[in-house]
Amino acid sequence: MDMLANISLGIGVALSGTNLFYCFLGVVVGTVIGVIPGVGAISAISLLLPVTFYLDPTTALIMLGGIWYGATYGGSTAAILLNIPGTPANAVTCMDGYPLARQGRGGVALLMAALASFTGGTIGIIILMFFSPLLASYALSFGAAEYFALMFMGLVAASTITDGSAVKGLAMVTLGILFGCVGADIYTGVPRFNFGTLELQDTISLVALAMGVFGVSEVIATVRNVHVSPIDRSSVSFRAMRPTGEELRRAGTSALRGSGIGSFFGALPGAGPSIAAFIAYAFEKKVSPRSKLFGKGAVEGIAAPESANNAADQTAFIPTLSLGIPGSPTMALMLGALMIHGIAPGPGLVVEQPSLFWGLIMSFWIGNLMLVILNVPMIGLWVRLLTIPYHLLYPAVLVFICIGTYSVHQSAFEVGLVAFFGALGYLMRVFDWPAAPLLLGFVLGPMMEEHFRRAMLFSRGDVLTFFERPISATVMAIAILMLVWGVISTIRQKRRARLEE
Amino acid sequence: MLTRDYRDIVGGGVLLCFGLWVAWYAASHYDLGTLRRMGPGMFPMLLAIVLAGLGLLMAVPAFFREGPKVQLRLFVPAVILLSVLSFALLIGPFGLIPAIVAVTCLSALGEEKFRPLAIVLLCLVLSVIAWLIFSVGLGLTLPMFRWPF
Repeated sequence: MDMLANISLGIGVALSGTNLFYCFLGVVVGTVIGVIPGVGAISAISLLLPVTFYLDPTTALIMLGGIWYGATYGGSTAAILLNIPGTPANAVTCMDGYPLARQGRGGVALLMAALASFTGGTIGIIILMFFSPLLASYALSFGAAEYFALMFMGLVAASTITDGSAVKGLAMVTLGILFGCVGADIYTGVPRFNFGTLELQDTISLVALAMGVFGVSEVIATVRNVHVSPIDRSSVSFRAMRPTGEELRRAGTSALRGSGIGSFFGALPGAGPSIAAFIAYAFEKKVSPRSKLFGKGAVEGIAAPESANNAADQTAFIPTLSLGIPGSPTMALMLGALMIHGIAPGPGLVVEQPSLFWGLIMSFWIGNLMLVILNVPMIGLWVRLLTIPYHLLYPAVLVFICIGTYSVHQSAFEVGLVAFFGALGYLMRVFDWPAAPLLLGFVLGPMMEEHFRRAMLFSRGDVLTFFERPISATVMAIAILMLVWGVISTIRQKRRARLEE
Repeated sequence: MLTRDYRDIVGGGVLLCFGLWVAWYAASHYDLGTLRRMGPGMFPMLLAIVLAGLGLLMAVPAFFREGPKVQLRLFVPAVILLSVLSFALLIGPFGLIPAIVAVTCLSALGEEKFRPLAIVLLCLVLSVIAWLIFSVGLGLTLPMFRWPF
């Protein structure tokens, strides 16, 4: 009964005029930036973060959430029609989507992607609805040691699971936490690392860091590197969308399997929608009797990853909302938006802010429904977006990055910080350092320091306190296992690479 | 391919130096306190030491393996970053529209082809959009033009 009351509360909040409007705005913006290659959800969300200062926190999160899952919907369009993934989570969709489009069946591929996305999103939301409150009520008894352990595990997972070297990921997490240390010390108020400037006495602005490391460096990397090929318009007409009954049936079962896989990997810190899509595709290829057709235009090869990445988009909110621990940089930005409004993320959120929590979840349903409507009959409009040349697009992106940052505190200094972090982001690309762990470390850093110092205070300086309490000991053990495994596997990987030469 | 992985050697070296510098800075400028009652300098110093260690872990194995050739583009990053900096410098004394024009023109130099007409149109359109969204829509008090002299 409790659940029903919560659901109806959520529906009431989500269906209010303002929230409906911003949900719509969010999914439209998400679809647009998802369709256009070279602009990701992170840049769009950091761009719109300043706008959310003027909104109610629930409305703000509804809009930002819409961008996040809307981008994954839209990203499949570019993947299918151009063989360029609109967002990293759609990379696998290229493998079967593009061959289908080449056969003149792009419409079928787009329809399958939209329907699979909706299936994945729906299943992800159901899991989110049941697991978040459960996890949150369990987490209410957590102390400083448990929190530190959980954040530690989240950061280790985020830096070791992602592809590439675990050492580099860990280094970027550490660097991110160090950037988080800039500003007034939480216990004594002493300004740290401000180098005599007034502007850095407060913390580094999350908006400036995200815009620089993701937005500006993305522009730098994409300029001169995007070459768009012409699109066959007739393949996306409404008539070309009719799939055969057999295709629907086959895609249906793989969409269900993909949703399951996606829901699981989305909730894991550090995994997220891209990894979920890859695993769902690999799994589908393994169990399918028609695995030889994969890569040549099999509908299952679209349905599985597209349902998985959308399910993962939704379940990524489980650790974010119920523990206050984001598993990906986008989720970190969402938490940032909450904190800007003075709402402390954590297990208390579900109980203390029921209208925010349930309103947000119910808005996901509505947003997913809107996306199917946006992506099936109106696909022609989005396809036209693909023809906007990048040389017109990126100066506009830069202008909005600058104005957006400036408008937060009317501070030119923060725009300068964007340039600094843009330079850092470019250097990170040159050195092949991952950017996601940096942002995660930056957001979690201050919280980690607080919990670490509090735990040390309680335990009178005994570091072993993290291993004495059962929950934190288990979590720390998992984290250390991941750490050791990550470092060993990078060393091995490099050895193998050397042997192959 | 290069005989050594210079990318990771340089990258690890940079992190090592940066970590050591931050650790020194934290230890010499802020109170460290004790583990039980940590001062403002303790947490950053510990982290910086970890960062230096990770830099070392990155650099040392790179001496013993082959590495990829790194292509360093200088012009495009310089132009894009300068355009953002120009906004920061111009917005205060000159107002929003000169800042927008500066970002658009400078960043457009990053493309191979120079398209004067497209740039002029883009400046116009972006100025109008920015004015509509931020001044009319959100009601921010951003001066459009200003003359400091």
